[in-house]
Amino acid sequence: MKDVIDVMELQREKTRKNVSLDYKSLDFNNGFTPARFIFECGIKLNGQPLTLATAAVIMHRFFREVDPSNYDSFLIAASSLYLAGKVKDDNLKIRDIINVAHNTLHRGSSPLEIGDEYWNMRDAIVQAELLIMRILKFEVGTVHPHKFLLHYLRSMEGWLGKAQWESIPVARASAAFLQDFHHDPSILDYNPRHIAIACISLALQCYGVQLPLIEDTDDEAWYNVFVKDLPKEKHWEIMEKIMEVYNKEVE
Amino acid sequence: MENKLKKYEKIEFLGEGQFATVYKARDVDTDNIVAVKKIKLGSRQEAQDGINRTALREIKLLQELHHDNIIGLLDVFGHMSNVSLVFDFMDTDLEVIIKDNSIILTTANIKSYILQTLQGLEYLHLNWVLHRDLKPNNLLVNSNGVLKVGDFGLAKLYGSPNRVNTHQVVTRWYRAPELLYGAKQYSTCIDMWAVGCILAELLLRLPIFPGESDLDQLTKIFGVFGNPTEETWPGLKSLSDYIEFKPFTPIPLKNIFTAAGDDLLDLIEALLVMNPIKRKNCTACLQMPFFSNKPAPTVGDKLPLPHSLRTMRDLDKPSLKRKLLDTAEGGTLSKRLFF
Repeated sequence: MKDVIDVMELQREKTRKNVSLDYKSLDFNNGFTPARFIFECGIKLNGQPLTLATAAVIMHRFFREVDPSNYDSFLIAASSLYLAGKVKDDNLKIRDIINVAHNTLHRGSSPLEIGDEYWNMRDAIVQAELLIMRILKFEVGTVHPHKFLLHYLRSMEGWLGKAQWESIPVARASAAFLQDFHHDPSILDYNPRHIAIACISLALQCYGVQLPLIEDTDDEAWYNVFVKDLPKEKHWEIMEKIMEVYNKEVE
Repeated sequence: MENKLKKYEKIEFLGEGQFATVYKARDVDTDNIVAVKKIKLGSRQEAQDGINRTALREIKLLQELHHDNIIGLLDVFGHMSNVSLVFDFMDTDLEVIIKDNSIILTTANIKSYILQTLQGLEYLHLNWVLHRDLKPNNLLVNSNGVLKVGDFGLAKLYGSPNRVNTHQVVTRWYRAPELLYGAKQYSTCIDMWAVGCILAELLLRLPIFPGESDLDQLTKIFGVFGNPTEETWPGLKSLSDYIEFKPFTPIPLKNIFTAAGDDLLDLIEALLVMNPIKRKNCTACLQMPFFSNKPAPTVGDKLPLPHSLRTMRDLDKPSLKRKLLDTAEGGTLSKRLFF
C-alpha cells in the first residue's frame, strides 16, 4: 500500500469536455458503465440524489449475485432506477424512464411511439424489477453514507470556523466523491460511516486543509471524534478505491 | 424459491380483493400458523406498473421493524410473477371487538389495548416511522390477547425537514385537525390524534367523530372541543385549507364519557388536543397515571374474544381474517379516503 495518497492526481484538472458517451460501445467495466448510465438518466429525470444512490446500490448488488454477461446491463440499470424511485417514494414515472433511457442509448432519436417497442421495453423493465427484488431477496433498504456525511460536515463547519469553511468547497467536494464512488461496486463493501469519512478526508487533502486544534499523529486521526472503529489502513484503502473510480472514466 | 411454496401449506382461503389474495397457512418447518398475502401482478394494470407500491412500503419498513406490538413480516417470497408476504396470523381486530355487543370492555380491557397500541407506536415513532393510517380495523388482535399494529401500506419515514407530505392520509374519522386543514408537514402528532379517537371509540363503542365529509369532520371535532383560535393554536390561520367555522360551545369530556375515571379522561384530553404541538407523544402518555393506577391492564389470555371467534374456537374452526381481507379489497388511497 502506498503511504501517501497522490492527491495531485485528483487536483490535476482533467480536461472536462462534456462527452456524450456511446453506451452501446462500452463494456460492463465492473459495473461502471451501468452506474454511469443510472446517474446520467437519473439526473435527466430529476431524481433525488438518494434515489440515484439507491439505484446504483441495487444495480451493483444485483450484479454481485449473477453473471453480468447474462443480462442487458442497461435494462437492469433502468429497472433499478424505477425500483429505487418506489423505494424512496420519489416518483419516477415508467414512461419517463423508458424515454430517457432510450434517448440516452440512441442519442438524437425521437421519443418512442406508444407501440410494440414501447410496450416491450415497459414489460422488460417490470419483469426485471421483479427479478431484481427476488435476487436481492426482497431486501431493498439501504443505509446510505450520505446522512453520516451530512452530520460530520455540519460538525466540521464549526470546527474550521465559518470564514474558512466558506472559502473552500469541502462539503461540495466530499459529496461529489461520495456520489462518484457509487460507480464502483466496492461501495457495498464498507461501513457507510467509514465511506463518509474517507470522502471528507480526500476533500480535505485535495484542498490542503489543516484542521485546527488537533495534531494528526499516528495513533490519533482527525476522524476519531466521529468514528472509533476505522483503522488507518482501511481509511487509506477506501480513499484509494474512490480515486480508482476516476481511472475508469472513458477518456 | 420453489421450496418456499411448499414451506407454507395452505389451510384455507381467507379473502380476495383487487390487489391481493390472502390465505391462512401453516409453516411446515415450524408448524406456526401464518397469513400469506399474495400480491397479484396478473392484471393488466398491475403488470404494467410492476411491484405494487403499497406492498413495497410494507416490505421495506417491516423488514426492519421488530416489536411484540407490531405485525411481524416473517418472510417474503416470489413465485412466477407473484410476490407473497408472510405475516403473523392474527385472529381478529379492534373493530370487530368494538362492534361485538356481546363483549364488555372494562377499563382494564381498554387499558390493555391502549397500552399495547402505545407501546407499538412508541417503537415506530422512535424509529422515525409514521403509520398514517391508525384505526380500530388496523389494530390486530390474536387469540392470546396480543395486539399488533398492522397495515403499513401508508407508513412513511418522517423527520426530513424539506419533505412535503400529502395531507390526504388517515381514514377520515381518525384524521387530525391539522391534516383536515391541509398541513403538508406533520409529525407523529397525527398518529397520536388517531389513538385518541380509537380510545374514545373503545369507550363509546361508536366512532367519536363520524364525519361525512372533510368539512363535516371538522364540525364534529369543534362540536366537542369548540373552535380553535390563534391563541390556542398559533399558526392555525396560515394552514393552506384554513376556513372559519360558526362558533361552537365546547362540551366537557366528562359529559361524553360518563363512565370514565379522571385518569382516563386525562389521557383522552392529552391525545385529543387540537394544536398538534401540544398533543402528548407515546412516551409521555405511557407515563401518565392511568397506566399505573388500578385496575391493572387485563392480561392477554383474559381479554375478551369476539362472539364469532369463541364459537369458532369451540368448533375448532379457524376464523375469517377480516383485516387482511379489507386491505386485499382496497389498498388504494382513494378507497381509504372516501369510503
